[in-house]
This record gives sequence, C-alpha cells and structure tokens, in this order.
Amino acid sequence: MWHNPSLKKRLLAMVLGVITLVWLGASVWTYFDAREELDEMLDAHLTQTASLLLTQTTHELDELETEHAPQLHKYSRRVAFQVWEQGRDLRLHSVNAPQQPLSDKDSGFSDRTLDNHRWRVFSAWDDSHTYLIHVAEQAEVREKLARGVAANLLRPLLVALPLLAILLWLAVASGLRPLVGLARQVGRREPDNLAALDAGSAPDEVIPLIERLNTLFHRINASIQSERRFTADAAHELRTPIAVIKAQSQVARNAANTAERSHALDGAIAGCDRAAHLIEQLLTLARLDSVETGSREPCPLRQLAAETLADIAPAALDKGVQLELAEGDEVTVNGLPALLRVMLRNLLDNAVRHTPPGTLVRVEISASNITVSDNGPGLPEQELEKISQRFYRPLGTEASGSGLGLSIVRRIAEMHDAQLTFTSASTGKGLRATVSFRLP
Amino acid sequence: MRILVVEDDNLLGDALQAGLKQAGYAVDWLRDGTAADQALSSEPYAATVLDLGLPRMAGLEVLRRLRQRGSALPVLILTARDTVDDRILGLDSGADDYLVKPFDMGELVARLRALVRRASGQPAPTLKLGDIELDPAAHRVSYRGRPAELSAREFAVLQALMLSAGKVLSRTQLEEQLYAWGEEIESNAVEVHIHHLRRKLTPALIETIRGVGYLIKS
Repeated sequence: MWHNPSLKKRLLAMVLGVITLVWLGASVWTYFDAREELDEMLDAHLTQTASLLLTQTTHELDELETEHAPQLHKYSRRVAFQVWEQGRDLRLHSVNAPQQPLSDKDSGFSDRTLDNHRWRVFSAWDDSHTYLIHVAEQAEVREKLARGVAANLLRPLLVALPLLAILLWLAVASGLRPLVGLARQVGRREPDNLAALDAGSAPDEVIPLIERLNTLFHRINASIQSERRFTADAAHELRTPIAVIKAQSQVARNAANTAERSHALDGAIAGCDRAAHLIEQLLTLARLDSVETGSREPCPLRQLAAETLADIAPAALDKGVQLELAEGDEVTVNGLPALLRVMLRNLLDNAVRHTPPGTLVRVEISASNITVSDNGPGLPEQELEKISQRFYRPLGTEASGSGLGLSIVRRIAEMHDAQLTFTSASTGKGLRATVSFRLP
Repeated sequence: MRILVVEDDNLLGDALQAGLKQAGYAVDWLRDGTAADQALSSEPYAATVLDLGLPRMAGLEVLRRLRQRGSALPVLILTARDTVDDRILGLDSGADDYLVKPFDMGELVARLRALVRRASGQPAPTLKLGDIELDPAAHRVSYRGRPAELSAREFAVLQALMLSAGKVLSRTQLEEQLYAWGEEIESNAVEVHIHHLRRKLTPALIETIRGVGYLIKS
C-alpha cells in the first residue's frame, strides 16, 4: 500500500501537512515578532520606571529610612532597582537587588548576568548628576511572555488538527465520488461489454481518461468485430472448396470408367489446391492483422519486383501471359521487405490469374509508385472499388482465387503508409493497380 | 430425367454434373443467373439445383421469377449460406429444399428424387403400374417380380412415361427430358428405346398414338 497510497489518504496527508507547516511557521513568526514588540515595550517601561524613580528620588530620598523598597506584585521579584548616590553609595534598592551595581554602565541599556539570571538593565543619572539609577528586569520574563503568545497560537492547532482531519476526509471523499463511481462502473462491466462509458457528471479532469477509455473500447470492439466477421467469412469461403473435394471424390468413387474417375480425381485435387491456397492467404492476412510493426529497412523496390517476377514467370509462361519490368532507376523505400515481396507477388499473381493468355503484364517502378498493369479485358468502373474487399470476386471470373489476394495487398500497403488504387489502364483496356508510397 | 444445375464455381459445377449423370439424370449446367432464368422459362426440367451467389442475377431472384411465372418446378437450393435466416428466406422465396455446402452427393441425389416424386404426386418411393415396378433410388425395374435389365436411357424413358401415366408424351418432350444440351440425339433414338422397352418388358406396355406420341395407361 505504501507504493500505491489511496488518493484520499494522500490528499489528506498533504493538506494536513501543509496546514501544520503553515501554522507552525506562523507561530514561530509570532514568537519572534512578540519578542521584538515586548522588548520595545518593556524597555520603554524600564526607562519610564527609571525616570519615575529619579523624580521620586531627588525629592524624597532623604526622607526614606529603609534601604529596601516594598514588594507589591509577583512580577516585582523579577524587577529590581538600585539608587546610587554619587555612583558610590547604595542608597536604595529593591529586595531582590544585589549589593553590587546591577550594571557597570551609567547610562542606557545593558545586559548582565547575576546569580545565573540574565537581567536587562537601564541606567541613568538624575539631572543634578547626584544619583545613579539602575532599573533591571529579568530577561526570562520577556522570553516567557513571547513563548506564551506563541503557545496560545499553537494550542488551538492541537484541537483543530483532528477536527480538520475528519472534515477534510469527508470533503475529499465527496470530491472523489465521481472517480469512485467511474471505478465501480468499470468494475461492474461484463468482460465482453465494450460499450462507451458514460461521462455524465464526471469532473473535467477525468473526462480525458473516460474519452481515452472509450476510444480504446471502440478500437477493441472494432477489432473483435472484424475478427468475428473474418472468421465467419473464412469458414464460409472454405465451404465451397471442401464441397468440391467431397463431391468430386464421390463422383470418382462411383465412376464407371477410368477416364471419368481420373477427371473427378483431378477436380478433387484442384479443390484441395484451392483450399490450401485459401488457407495460406487467410493465414497471411491474419498474421498481417496482428503484426503491426517490425524492423523497417531500406527496400530496393526494383530488385524486389525483379525477384518476384522471376518467381512467377513459370506460372505466367504456362498460361501464356507475358511479363515485363519497365526500365528505370532503383527506388528505395523504408519498409518490411518480406511483406513488400508478398504484396508484389499477390499483385502479379492476380494479374496473371485473371487475364487471358497473350496478355502482357507490366511492372513499373517510379519515384513513389509501384504500378502493375495489364492489357487484358479490365473491369467495369463499379467493380474497381470493390475488388480489394475481402472475398470479393468479380462476376464471371474463373473462381480459382481466394478472393483475399488484394485484401492482403491493401493491408500491406496500409502498413507502409501507401495507397492502393485501381484504375482502368490508360489505353482504356486492362487493369492498372498502383501502390503509391508517401514521399519522405 | 433432365436437371438444371446453376453453379458459378467451375470445379463444383463439374462435380455436380458428373455426380447427377452417374445417378441417371441428364444435366444442364449454367454458370450465371440470367442464363438460368432464360433456360428455366423455356426448357422442361424435372428439377433444378440452384446456387444463391450467382453472377448477373442472384439465385433468389431466379427463384422468384420462376415462381412468378407460376412454375411448380422442384427447386433445391445448394449454397454455402448456412444461417437459419438464410434457410428460411430461401424456402420462403419458393425453394422446395435447402442443402448447405459441403454436401453429400448421395444425399443431394436422394433429395432430388424425393422432390421429383412429390412433384408428380407419387406418395411411394417406388413407382408401380400394373405388373411393372420402378425403383428410382436403386435404378431397378421389375416386371411381374422379375428384374429387367434396362439401359440408363431406357430407364429414363420408362420413368418419364410412368410419372405422367395416362398422359401422352410427344417424342420431342421425351427427347427434351432425356438429353442435356450438347448431347447427340439420334433421329430415331426414342423409337429405339420404346422398342427395347416393349421387348424387355411386355409389348402391350407402351401405346403409340400416331403423330402425337407415347403413353402408358394408368
């Protein structure tokens, strides 16, 4: 709990700490301020007393029999005076005053220590310069008074702190209620509930958190949906090749002659190839969906295109489709070479697969584009938009493709910040697929 | 008996055509909805196997148009769409049966047999007429309990006549039911088959109405 103290406890500790600190500071400041004020005030008193005594003394000293002045107040013990005639004979002093002079100075203030007590002394001569008067006051008095003032300020703090703690606890709890509510709202959710959180009465500080959470929920939801749709689509698409395999096999089993049987078996094998191709493409796509990043490196597009063309050449020659890589300089983009190869392979595969014999498939690499074009029959405008959708197969195509190749191309293009577009070839005949990379 | 298969997948269409031929049907195979619609409005099929995802005209549209024309032709939908909603929609659009891919060829053929039998008002799986018994599933014919060896065409002619017992079928009608497109029809093929049937079973079985056609009395 020490590492993750509750917000409530932390707020409380901090606020109480700050209050205590400020209050203590105020007390200390008050103490020193009081000391200063008291010094001034009591010094004034001392001078006052001295001048009183002087006036008194000059007129009435002769009549005084006693050496000691009477004690009239409890603090009088702490206040002392001496009257020295000519500065030599101690004529009058208070009970608590010592026999030796209270100060060796004969005018103004001085600080002395006598019998372990510190005294503040004011000394003055009378006008005729006959009597020297020392009026003294123990310094502890001032200390005590100043401490008393400061203590008076501190004492309420002791009472106030616990009370403040309780009130602050309640205030903080009420302040944090929206957060607690939010936590409960999240905690109560079913694991598969990805609906947006209600920002409702949430405070401003929490709204960004809720918004982020909602964005996250939305994204997770979208990805789960697409996963589900994909699984359903995949299962659906696998039905046909499996139906082919089963039906052809059953035809082969019941075949009346060898020719019929081998024709059906060829069909079953072709069905297997198709299922295998479909599964391979599905896996590629699933991997692409989960792999977001990898180490990017400079990829020479022309070289990749040449390698891919070499790979696909046998299949193209079998079908009577010609391949061509247009002249040009090497172009390097930052990317994932394995994926770019898959992308080129699918584009070329698609071009070879869906064009009649005698078609020319041409690859052009320019500053930021890979273009694969053919001079085949092409596609109507309304189909161009749809052909890179998953499992979409244009009407009338020999349905041997998985319907996934161009989804894979689009996905890889997206991973490279590139755009995949399909247009009719400039000659008006044939299809042109362009992957445009963003220039750095 | 002639069946129309509408399936856009080359390999599957090929298998369907071969499998149904093995079961003794004459099979026409079309790959798109519009062609199927035209064929269904002009040719006398005994039943059709219809895929739903078709180029040019969706399978359900082909079906709706067929029913709008008032045709009672047995239609079996063969599709990869397997949800209950899809099945309900298919049957409610006028299909007689619904089979999901992948399917068993034997089951498909059996379902087609059942569809054809019900369409002709036959309650029993075997056709019986007098001393003649015809089992479409086993492809067997017996006369007075004795099995008769018939060729596939002879069997088909007999089945066609028995299914419309009491009605006259013209030579052209019989030919249309026997032969798929592209199959070579010899000019007197039907006469030859009828002749063989009379010899193998009983001469009185099939009556010839001159200039009109043939008939088995019910």
